[in-house]
Amino acid sequence: MTHAQPVLAARGVARRFGAQTALEPTDLEVGEGETLALVGPNGAGKSTLLALLAGALEPTAGTIERRDGARVGWVPQRPAHYGRLSARENLELFARLEEEPRPADAAERLLASFDLPRDDRASGSLSVGNRQRLNLAIALLGDPHVLLLDEPTASLDPGQRRRLWERVESLRDAGGAVAFATQNVEELERHADRVVALRDGRVVFDGTIAEYEREPLADLFA
Amino acid sequence: MRALLLLRKDLRVLRRSPLLLVVLLAYPLLVAGLVGLVAGYASSKPRVALVDEDNLPATLVLGGHRFHVDRTIARVSHDVKLVRLSPDEAERQLRTGKVVAVVTVPRGFVADLRAMVRSPQLVLQTTHGGLSPRVTQQVQALVYSLNRELQRAYIESNLRYVRLILHGGDGSFLGRKFRILGLDGTERELRNLPPGPRLDAIRRFVDDARLALAETDDALRATANPIELVQAPDRGRTWALSAQVQAYALALTISFLTLVLAAGALAAERDENVIGRLARGLVGLGELVAAKILLAALVALGVGAAIALAFGIVIQIGGVTGGEPWSRLPLLGVGLVLAGASLGALGTLLGALTRESRTASLVSLLVVLPVVFLGLVPPEVVPVAGYLSDALPFAHAVRFFGAALYDASPWAAVAREAAWLVGLAAVFAAAARAGARRLLV
Repeated sequence: MTHAQPVLAARGVARRFGAQTALEPTDLEVGEGETLALVGPNGAGKSTLLALLAGALEPTAGTIERRDGARVGWVPQRPAHYGRLSARENLELFARLEEEPRPADAAERLLASFDLPRDDRASGSLSVGNRQRLNLAIALLGDPHVLLLDEPTASLDPGQRRRLWERVESLRDAGGAVAFATQNVEELERHADRVVALRDGRVVFDGTIAEYEREPLADLFA
Repeated sequence: MRALLLLRKDLRVLRRSPLLLVVLLAYPLLVAGLVGLVAGYASSKPRVALVDEDNLPATLVLGGHRFHVDRTIARVSHDVKLVRLSPDEAERQLRTGKVVAVVTVPRGFVADLRAMVRSPQLVLQTTHGGLSPRVTQQVQALVYSLNRELQRAYIESNLRYVRLILHGGDGSFLGRKFRILGLDGTERELRNLPPGPRLDAIRRFVDDARLALAETDDALRATANPIELVQAPDRGRTWALSAQVQAYALALTISFLTLVLAAGALAAERDENVIGRLARGLVGLGELVAAKILLAALVALGVGAAIALAFGIVIQIGGVTGGEPWSRLPLLGVGLVLAGASLGALGTLLGALTRESRTASLVSLLVVLPVVFLGLVPPEVVPVAGYLSDALPFAHAVRFFGAALYDASPWAAVAREAAWLVGLAAVFAAAARAGARRLLV
C-alpha cells in the first residue's frame, strides 16, 4: 500500500540468516513526500527491512527497486563510522565516496549543522550522542532523496531530536521520502504519515497513523 | 579510485595506531630471531653418549706416540658433544632422546689398536628419524678425525725407522733396543775399503737406497691421504648476514605483518559497522578486498625495503664479502609487492571467514606460523611439506627474494615465483571476495 509515487520499493523481498528467517517475502513502497514509520517488537524484522531497502544487505529473495537517480541515505541503529578518524575525516571520506563535488565544504557544513566537534579527536572517543549525530550527518551526504532511519533518536538529547525531525520534515517537504523504525509512540504520532507494523518478519499492518491507532495491535507494538 | 580512498583511510588509521605498528613490526623480527636461534641450536653439537666397555686408559702409547685419551677425544669431537655414560644410562637417554646417538668402545678395542692385526671397531647406535643421517655423518667425521690422529702417529713412527735406516743410531722395536749403522754409516765404512767393482756396486746400491728413502716421507703421507682437503681462510659471510637469512627474514616479517594486517583490516570494516554503509553502492566488496590487498602490498614494500636497507647498511659498514646488491633492490621491491599482495589476499580471506577483527588477528597468527614453518622445512626431507608450501605464498616469497638479491641470472626463478605469487593472490582474492558476503550478516 502506498499513497504517493514510489521512490523506493521492496518486491517480495525476504532475508534469511542461515536457518533463521529475519524477513518473510515482503512488499513495501515508500512514496514521494511520505514519512513511513516501521514498528514492531524487537526482532520483528524492522532493521533488516531498512538495511535491505538501503542496499546494505542483499535479499535472499525478491528485489529492491529504486527510482532512477534516487539517492538513499541510511542511518543504521548502531553508529557506522571509523572510530580512529575524526568526525571531519569521516565526513570527508564518505563525501568523496558519495561523490560530493566539494567534500571538504560538505563536511564543514554538516559539522556545523550537527554541532559536531571540529578538532582532530578520534570519533570513537566522542560521546554516544555525538557519535549518533555523526551517524546521521554521514547519511545526509550526497543529498539523498530517501532517508532510512533505524531508531535514530535513541541517543539524542531533546534539542538534537528536534533538529533531526526538522531536517526530516524539510526533506519530506522537498519531495523526498522518509522511513524510520521506532519504538517511540510520541515520534510515531508526531512525525509519521503511515505506519507499517512487522511481527516475526511479516507485515501485519500497513495504514495511516489514525488507522493504526484503532488497531488492537498498537498496544503490543508501541 | 574508491579502493584508493579506503587505502588512504587504512594508512591513516595505521599511522594513528603506533603501538599496533610497533608490535606488528617487532613481533615478526622477534620470531625471525627465535627461528634463527632454533636453527642455530639445530646445527649445534648434538649430544652423543660414549660408552666405554674397554676401560680406556688415561694415556695410550701407539706407534711410539703418547695419546691422552680424553684430550684426544675432545680434540677430534668438534661436531658432537660426547658425554661418558654407562651402557644402561646411555640406552635410557637414547630412548628418551636426551642423546641422539651412542658410540660404544667394545671390549678388546685397545688391544686391537695396539696389535694392529685387525681394525678395532666402534659401535654406533642412533635414533630413527630426521636427525639420524646427520648424526651418523658427524660420528663418521669423529672417527675420521681419530683415524687421522693415529695415522699421523704411525707415519711419524715409521718415518723414525726410515730415518734410522738412513742416518743410523739407536732405536727400539717391541721393547727391544738396538743400534743400527744406517746408510750414512755404511757409506763411511765403504770409504775405508779397497776400491774395486764389487765395492762400486755396493756404493751404487747405498746411493740408490738413500735417494729412494729420502722420498719416503712425502710418499708415506701421500699414500695415507690420496686426497687431502685443505680449508682455505674464511671468505664467505657470517650466517647472520647470509643471502638465505636475508630472504627468510624478509619473507617472515612481511608474512606476519601482511596476513594479520589484511585480515584485521577487512574484519574491522564489520566491527566498525561500516561495511553495510559501504556495500550499499559506495564500495563494492571486490573493491574492499582489493583495498586491503593494496594495503598489505604497500606495507610489505615499505617494511621490506627498510629491512633490506638496514641489512645493506650493516653489510657495507662491516665490509662483508660480496656487499649488498643495491642494484637489485628494485627487483626486490617488485617481489615485496607481489608477496605482500599474495599474503594480503590470504589475510583478507581469513578476515572474511572470521568476520571479527580480534578473531581475525588471532586466526591469522595461528595460520601464519604453520605457513612459515612449512616453508622452512626442506621439501627433499618432507615432500608433503613441499607440496603444501607450494600452495602458500611464503616459500615463493623466500625463493623470489633470494633469487632477486643474489642469483647471477635471477630472471627464470623470479618469473616462476612471480607467476606463483600472482596466481595465489588471484585465488585467495577471489575466495575472499566470495567470503566477504559473510561480513554483511
